Amino acid sequence: MVGLLPIDTTNLSLRAKLYELNWLLPVLIAIIGAVGVAMIFAATDGVWTQGAAQHAIRIGLAGVLLLVIALIDIKVWYTLSYPAYFGALILLIGVEFMGVSVNGSQRWLDLGIMRIQPSEIMKLAIVMALARYYHDLSRWRVSHISGLTGALLLIAVPMVLILHQPDLGTTLLLGATGVAIVFLAGVSWRVIGFASLIMAVGLPIFFRFGLKEYQRDRIWTFLDPSRDPSGASYHITQSKIALGSGGISGKGFMHGTQRQGDYVPENRTDFVFTVIGEEFGLIGSLMTIALYIAVIGLCIYLAMKCKSSFAKLLILGLTTTFTLYIFINLGMVMGLLPVVGVPLPLISYGGTVVMAVMAGFGLILSAHLHRNSELPRSRL
Amino acid sequence: MARKSKLAHKDSAAEQAESEAVLTRRTLFLGAGGLAMFGVLGARLYDLQVRKAENYIALSENNRFNYNIILPSRGRILDRYSEPLAVNEPNYRVVLIPERSHDVDNVLKHVGEVIELDPKNLKRIHQDIKNNPRFVPITIQDNIDWKAFAALNMRMHDLPGIVPEVAEGRAYPNEGIFAHTLGYIGRAGEKDVADDKDPLLRQPTFRIGKTGVEAAVEKQLRGASGKLKVEVNAVGRIVREWPDPKEAATPGDDVYLTLDAQLQKFSADQFQDDSGGISVMDCMTGELRTLLSMPSFDGNLFVNGLTQADMDRMNSDPKRPQFNKVIGGGYPPASTFKMAVMLAALESGLINPNKPVFCVGKMRLGNRNFHCWKRQGHGAMNMRDGLKHSCDSYFYEISQIIGIDRIADMARRLGLGQTYDIGISGSNSGIVPDGAWKQARLGSGWRMGDTLNASIGQGFVLATPLQLSVMAARLANAQLALEPSLIIGQGIPSFGALDIDPANLAFVREAMHAVCEEPGGTAYRYDSLKLGGIEMAGKTGTGQVRGISASERASGVRRNNVVPWELRDHSIFVGFAPYEKPRFAVATIVEHGGSGAGRAADITRNVLSEALRRDGMGPKPQKEAAAL
Repeated sequence: MVGLLPIDTTNLSLRAKLYELNWLLPVLIAIIGAVGVAMIFAATDGVWTQGAAQHAIRIGLAGVLLLVIALIDIKVWYTLSYPAYFGALILLIGVEFMGVSVNGSQRWLDLGIMRIQPSEIMKLAIVMALARYYHDLSRWRVSHISGLTGALLLIAVPMVLILHQPDLGTTLLLGATGVAIVFLAGVSWRVIGFASLIMAVGLPIFFRFGLKEYQRDRIWTFLDPSRDPSGASYHITQSKIALGSGGISGKGFMHGTQRQGDYVPENRTDFVFTVIGEEFGLIGSLMTIALYIAVIGLCIYLAMKCKSSFAKLLILGLTTTFTLYIFINLGMVMGLLPVVGVPLPLISYGGTVVMAVMAGFGLILSAHLHRNSELPRSRL
Repeated sequence: MARKSKLAHKDSAAEQAESEAVLTRRTLFLGAGGLAMFGVLGARLYDLQVRKAENYIALSENNRFNYNIILPSRGRILDRYSEPLAVNEPNYRVVLIPERSHDVDNVLKHVGEVIELDPKNLKRIHQDIKNNPRFVPITIQDNIDWKAFAALNMRMHDLPGIVPEVAEGRAYPNEGIFAHTLGYIGRAGEKDVADDKDPLLRQPTFRIGKTGVEAAVEKQLRGASGKLKVEVNAVGRIVREWPDPKEAATPGDDVYLTLDAQLQKFSADQFQDDSGGISVMDCMTGELRTLLSMPSFDGNLFVNGLTQADMDRMNSDPKRPQFNKVIGGGYPPASTFKMAVMLAALESGLINPNKPVFCVGKMRLGNRNFHCWKRQGHGAMNMRDGLKHSCDSYFYEISQIIGIDRIADMARRLGLGQTYDIGISGSNSGIVPDGAWKQARLGSGWRMGDTLNASIGQGFVLATPLQLSVMAARLANAQLALEPSLIIGQGIPSFGALDIDPANLAFVREAMHAVCEEPGGTAYRYDSLKLGGIEMAGKTGTGQVRGISASERASGVRRNNVVPWELRDHSIFVGFAPYEKPRFAVATIVEHGGSGAGRAADITRNVLSEALRRDGMGPKPQKEAAAL
């Protein structure tokens, strides 16, 4: 396949590529991953085998994946953009019919040797597809109804499928990422204004008919925590107690009492930040956030260095997804957003998410490594 | 075609540049938005972890810690010589916490292999499980022996939900002879919890005094709860105990009674299977040395709740073991009332003690005969002999002269017709009748016949053994209007003056002495106290509980041993000793015990003798006082 593509004159040897690679990003990622290992270790009362060791191994394996993806020419990913998207779409439809239910939502596809979560693949594929779409799209079409319709279809179809699983968190993440790419691609403010108006009208309708009972419940509880003091809002309350009681400097590693008493459910996965906040206080929390900001800032910098629209939009789209993960997770843990089941990337325990996020960083590094590649433009 | 050309149109360099510029601008725009969002998150963290930190630290501590109440040991109840009457003993028991047990039936089956669980108990356990939340411990078996307790501890691991516990249980060591006085303890009822806000009362294993001394001095016996800080996790399981602040419970204070346990036991032995009551009072202080109602019940039965079978057995017993007869039973005092009549007569000045009355065995009043207990009559009697021989005719005669009001007044001054605050409830005021009383109670006027009946302590007159002992003590003391006391430390009693002419009292006492120590006296017994010449004074009483018809009288009054038990006369005796220098006063009633000269007199003599011996008089005591 590669042979069919125009030869890139900037093609480098493997050694040169390894030299050229932006190593700062993997280092930051490794540091965040290590924070994750330590926090899972604490959350499981210091038992390595209950997640901390697995997390370390997964970060390591995903790091290899990251490097492999990064070293593969951007043209390959460019070419695979649409096939990846449609492949992911087929897997999502597969989930619909043959998926495995976990906790009442059908997200997993059992392939015999492994279980995969197609919605995670779609998070990458949609960015690839949209980057490719806008790479090819003529300037005048970006705000034109024809260009908008294409983008809307690309975003909406997987959203509907994932919402049906049901997985509200991923659906919103996907939608927001898509909207961000459309925005970055330069859609006119007029269209943005019009879309906002439609959203304002459509959201209440969606809330009423598009959501499951428990999803509505979470949002209501978020808006009025006293509705249900021991149910869903218990989670938020205990989470805030954990964070707040950490104070400025925290209770010390392995000394969190909220954690020891198992007051915050899911503190190994979605609520792992409560362990950081309780045991390391404001200082630890802000340092963690600073690490994330460093990663995000670095990615934006890398995007600006790229020549092609595809590479730029790919990096920015993936960065947007990553950033949204962090916002939604932290907002939820701090009681600013409803509990929607979004993990804290690289720190929360959970294999698929680690793999997906690391693959995303692989794509970012690949795009940056091959930043001078001339990518052909189909005429759309 | 224009369309097509536009489709084929490649963005110009200017357009591409514009695209890039837009992308850069919008990237910066989003980046700035992202930073703002992080700013919001940072501000929120500041809010939670700095501004409200104290609040959340407190909430976290609340989450973490519970204060468990430590139950105080209940104070003991001791007799005057520190002999224990109510104590605390370790109570080994097993409880079941249903929520920790997946299969209650299976667990109970296994427990049943170690300790006997009869079907009734099993039924009760299932009922308790059903009636309580799943986390409330249900008592499987109380008071199990150490061996079974150890065996259960060994098998704990395959008995989920079973918890062996050691608690303190109340125990009454003296086979129930103090049961009426001590009362019993039990779970706090709804009313108790409403009246008393002490959180101890809400503890399921805590017991409070329900009756008797246990209830009377509940405040002293209870003590104060301690606190234990425990760390709990989200589901309430105790993770660890904290040494600080650990507040030990303050045990309740011991309470001493005026009673002499050994004397009370001796008295109980005297009653054997008979029903009745005895009160022994100190003639100088009013302290009760014995306050016994027979038969008694085992107070231990009440500690963990009385079973229906025990309740039924008690309620169906004609001797009414649960009834505190010594303070609550109103009996016709019969001839023991004659001292009051005699004193009233002497005090009135209307009767000369030498006034002769000729007893022919009966006296006619209107169309009714009033009989003397001695059918053939006593012949010529004076006042002293009237009491010595208990001649009814003599008292019929003089009561007509002095009238009921003087008699009633004297009876009250001697302590009848009123209740005494000895701390415990259940006292009966008895009845000292007069015209006003009859009018109010029965709506009819007082008749001379009523006076005649009252003069021999029959008719409307009722008194309790306690009241009769007060009467005897006042007669013996001669100075003070003594009142009984039971609990030591309830304040120093100050008694009013008796205000009766000492010469008259001495006259009555001398006649009572004749009853016991002079041949011919109704209760004469050679060397009555067997204490080397220490003498006593007293008076018999035979309380009639049935009317005797004219025809029965004509054919011969049936003897007590041929009529059913519940129709036999009450045997009554009051007395004091030593006669010269009174120390103790006693009143004894044996329900349906026949003549007062019989059972009651015997018991009184023995108890008085033992009381004096234990007080150091006469030769060696029969029983060594363990605590002395």
